Amino acid sequence: MDNIIQIIILGLALGGVYALMASGLTLIFGVMRIVNLAHPIFIIVGAFISFWLFRSYGLDPILSIPITTIILFVIGLVLYKLLFKREAAEAKYSEMTVLLTFGVALCVDGFLGTLFSNTQRVTTPGYAIDAFIFDEIFIPKGQLYAGIASMIIIGALFLFLHYSRFGYAIRATTQNRAAAQLKGVNVDFVCLITFAIGLGLAGAAGALVSYIFSFFPAKHWDWIAILLSLVVLGGMGKMLGMIVAALVLSVIAAFVGAYFGASWSGITFYLALFLILLIRPEGLFGEKIEES
Amino acid sequence: MKNLDVSKIRETRKIYDESISATRSLERPIWLPTIIVGVLLVVPALQFFGGYNYLLHMLLYVMMYSAMASSWNILGGYTGYISLGHNVFFCIGGYFSGLILAYFRISTLITAPLAGVVVAILGFLVGLIAIKMRGPTFIISSIALLMVARILFDNWDFVDGSNGITLGQLDMTAQWIKLPYYYAFLVIAVVTIYTSYRIKHSKFGLHLRAISQDEVKAESAGINTWLYKSIAFAISAFFVGACGAVWGEYLTFLRPNIFIILLISVNMVLMCILGGKGTVAGPIIGAILIIAFNETSVAFLGTSEINILSTGLIMVVVIKFYPNGIVGTLARMKKLPRFLNWD
Repeated sequence: MDNIIQIIILGLALGGVYALMASGLTLIFGVMRIVNLAHPIFIIVGAFISFWLFRSYGLDPILSIPITTIILFVIGLVLYKLLFKREAAEAKYSEMTVLLTFGVALCVDGFLGTLFSNTQRVTTPGYAIDAFIFDEIFIPKGQLYAGIASMIIIGALFLFLHYSRFGYAIRATTQNRAAAQLKGVNVDFVCLITFAIGLGLAGAAGALVSYIFSFFPAKHWDWIAILLSLVVLGGMGKMLGMIVAALVLSVIAAFVGAYFGASWSGITFYLALFLILLIRPEGLFGEKIEES
Repeated sequence: MKNLDVSKIRETRKIYDESISATRSLERPIWLPTIIVGVLLVVPALQFFGGYNYLLHMLLYVMMYSAMASSWNILGGYTGYISLGHNVFFCIGGYFSGLILAYFRISTLITAPLAGVVVAILGFLVGLIAIKMRGPTFIISSIALLMVARILFDNWDFVDGSNGITLGQLDMTAQWIKLPYYYAFLVIAVVTIYTSYRIKHSKFGLHLRAISQDEVKAESAGINTWLYKSIAFAISAFFVGACGAVWGEYLTFLRPNIFIILLISVNMVLMCILGGKGTVAGPIIGAILIIAFNETSVAFLGTSEINILSTGLIMVVVIKFYPNGIVGTLARMKKLPRFLNWD
């Protein structure tokens, strides 16, 4: 029994982080229908920035979240202006856009690999290897803090989307682009800012990831399918559904990992992704998207 | 008033159509592929005069990737289903023939077609399922398939998981050992490209193109879309599987991470898109260019990371600015040289 509770706790803590990692992807997909395969590599970029800050200035990874977020936000602005302006809305480009973001992922991957080489890195703040211990159960401090930080950031995002004018505009664009434009929303600007926010969230996730996982540039390949599975299962752009999916799948993955060996835990996400695309492509929590 | 003799009109139209297709195929430069294949057939004779193993390896590599990119083109170019998971078939083909080689000592050169058939059946089944999805969803699911296959192969004890299995080497001197594989890949490449050409100029290819343009309309026009898509999937898996079989023995080693890495399928996709998606000559040109580029960049710049970076850059530039690829863009500008025009 203790064992089961332990697994659930570990799964939930990891699920919170996965939810933050996938939140930017969900936002970008929801507003622009861009499947941003480059999202995970930008998480790694965030992790690298955080690692560098920790190494050079001893800045705690959790405290470096604002810095990584802002840097990635700026990268997002530039990237959108350079590459995705035209593709942002047109559904007929979406296939090519997937390959385009894939190319971007390869670029950044190769760039980071050239500069810093593919060695494993991890930031080591004191709490990363510490834990709260209650009798038989332990809660690793690092993952707990990361889970809480993720939930705070996602909560802030939720408030921003639901209680600010710009948030209204973003949600309106998500629901119906043409109608939003008719109502006077500057859709281009909304897309630009949303893309930047999405990458900013990747930066925030990167700071947390830097001490939870040991990371190296090529690591993002493992995450692409995991994050996509959360987005798809959560209903293609539905934030709340994605968070539920992240928590549920992480707990299942933790159980699979505990009973079949750690190398099998990833298969939960991949199989879930494959099956859900097959059986219910609109996701568990989504309603049907009409084909254009 | 006499009855209209429809059969006569049909007859005339048929003769007219045939005369058109005859002149078009006369216009096609048959001499070019004949010369290329002829040269490729005699190139190994260079081995009499010295060590040209590197040249042979490069030619072999180009032929393999031309075959794989052409094969990918049948699904990705003609039918419009972009798959990033095609090297799953590459891997299964390699393991199927490789295991037969390891346990029964039957060369993969013989079992390669069999591996192709097995993979094609598998591809047909996967096609039946996966082809229900469309557009970005299909790409995502193909990545998922790739990841699932990677974990399965990494943990499959019978083939020693991620450690891989060693295959024997042919009992030949270093001077001649590349030859069997060289000719095997030559045959595979020629057959693949010829198949691709025939499909492009058949009614089947027309159906596939209709599907890639607008699937709903194609279906309402009476095309059995799921069957054609699955067959396209199977054909495109067949050649990739055969390539995998021979490639495994050529490397004398089977391991999941030499088959199932995204970079291989990315190469297939990139060659196809760079050369021109949905054209016959495109994938070959793409394969030659990409491999030449990779080799020079490795020779002058070293490290494989720069290679990844440049692959990504090429991909971004091509998709962003020349989504029709070299052949497609030239054809649009009406500047396509005659010898590249195979469509």
